[in-house]
Amino acid sequence: MTSTEGYKPESGLAAEIEVEAYHRLFPLQYYERHLAESVRPDSRALGRARDTTIALGPVTSADGSALVKIGDTTVLAAIKLEVMTPSIDSPDVGSVAVDFQMPPICSPVVRPGRPAEVAPVIAKQLSDVIMSSGMINLQELSLISGKAAWMAYLDIYCLNADGSLFDAALLSATAAFSHLQIPLVSLSDDGKLITVSEELKDKAAVEPVNKENRKLTIAVAPFSLTCIVHGKYILADPTSEEESVMDTHVTVVLDSKERLVSLYKAGGAVLLHTSVVKDCIVLAKQRMEELSEILRESLSAMEVD
Amino acid sequence: MGPDKSLLRTKEDNKVKRAPILLEMATGTLGTYSPSQSLERRHQQQKRTDFQEVDWARSDGRNFHQCRPAFLRTGAASSASGSAYAEFGSTKVIVSVFGPRESKKAMLYSDVGRLNCHVTYTTFSTPIRGQGFEHKEYSSMLHKALEGAIMLETFPKTTVDIFALVLESGGGDLPVIISCASLAIADAGIMMYDLVSAVSLSCFGKNMVIDPTSEEEACQDGSLMITYMPSRNEVTQFTLTGEWPTARINEAMELCLDACSKLADILRSCLKDNASELTA
Repeated sequence: MTSTEGYKPESGLAAEIEVEAYHRLFPLQYYERHLAESVRPDSRALGRARDTTIALGPVTSADGSALVKIGDTTVLAAIKLEVMTPSIDSPDVGSVAVDFQMPPICSPVVRPGRPAEVAPVIAKQLSDVIMSSGMINLQELSLISGKAAWMAYLDIYCLNADGSLFDAALLSATAAFSHLQIPLVSLSDDGKLITVSEELKDKAAVEPVNKENRKLTIAVAPFSLTCIVHGKYILADPTSEEESVMDTHVTVVLDSKERLVSLYKAGGAVLLHTSVVKDCIVLAKQRMEELSEILRESLSAMEVD
Repeated sequence: MGPDKSLLRTKEDNKVKRAPILLEMATGTLGTYSPSQSLERRHQQQKRTDFQEVDWARSDGRNFHQCRPAFLRTGAASSASGSAYAEFGSTKVIVSVFGPRESKKAMLYSDVGRLNCHVTYTTFSTPIRGQGFEHKEYSSMLHKALEGAIMLETFPKTTVDIFALVLESGGGDLPVIISCASLAIADAGIMMYDLVSAVSLSCFGKNMVIDPTSEEEACQDGSLMITYMPSRNEVTQFTLTGEWPTARINEAMELCLDACSKLADILRSCLKDNASELTA
């Protein structure tokens, strides 16, 4: 509560309770008084995102995985590869299936049997961004032309929801694809592809189908930033409380070559001036540079291990 | 015609034999299958014969009566009243506790609080995608293991929700969920008579193996799980399944109870560490 000290007539417990009560009863005014001082209740500047960490490979049962924390928002993404038969129209491409789940552990508002409304919306947005950004070359997922290709099941679980879920989910998806290690497979007698076990790897008896292509090349990676627009203020990377108090959200997705991949502005009370959109894009560009550096660091740390 | 018929029959027999494999292959959604299936099956058959021997080495280098190292942490999810993360070998579980909060409108008045338990698996928790949905009974078993330990009369008319998510299933999932849940309840400040710790044990022919991995569980002859409150010396849940030589059950129980007491000490020290971190 350091930021509200200027408004406290007295100090001690009584003042603390008053601030807390004011916060509960008039959340919008509480935020507006903070914003007037260009600071947020968690002592961040308006354009600053929360501390972000990426941990690669937390799930050993998956082929690629990543745990992303943006402030208290925690998201776990994992990829499992399965074999599919490609369609006749496109015999040389694999496929990606994206799902975003909000299990009841992540938030007090989600209960079993009553799933969160936003989960399928985020899943669709993620799938659109991943496919349209050209992050993955689907031809790299091909195994035997016309016969077999990889189907990458990307499942993202929100473990703790505290705002900016899409940003965290997209970062975890990008990190999981960077971490993905494609298993060696060979053709069995009955025409199925089977994993080549560690013991058999060096024997000449089995001929792996995919000696190359064990890693996906990620040429351009998309990164996103969600902003809240409230009056003349733009708040980057909102918490769930900020999201619930102020309702005009803008999500900007830029790729690592600074090209705009997509821009969402779903409803909200405020109509945006183009200048505001430009400001959001500038913030997103800064964030993109920050995030690609964090991702690069965690990838190089993994290679050292 | 004679020889032809026999030829036909053998072909059919082959088909029948292979049916379960095909069925397994078909369980993948959208007509996909996991390439590691057949490898795992072969691996399991090999293990099954190995495990019947008097002496064999466990894949993680433990001896038969040694538990996996446990990593525990409270406060994993900030949006919950209390939460805990547990990692036993490759089994990884996160449990969040919400409440006590208002019961559902449809619920009748109750003098004592209600517990609502829900266990889910992530789709990538199992070696083959999406097999975690087979454990529908875990929610009610978690409920039964905990309800005796929680002072339900301290929160009348309200409900405490206990949600568990298995991030990775590496064997002994239910005991890990139960131990982790009791830690999360303590973290939420909900009153309990004692911490509940749970340990399972697998029986193979001549051997008993404590805290089995999923590989060992898949080949076991029988299993036993005890959930236990060590300070009160009370068992809240006891399950015994499969084939057991009667003489060995007592020995198995002793082993489990001893492991439960040690695990409870670890749970307690985790809570203490967390409390001292907060005050520091």
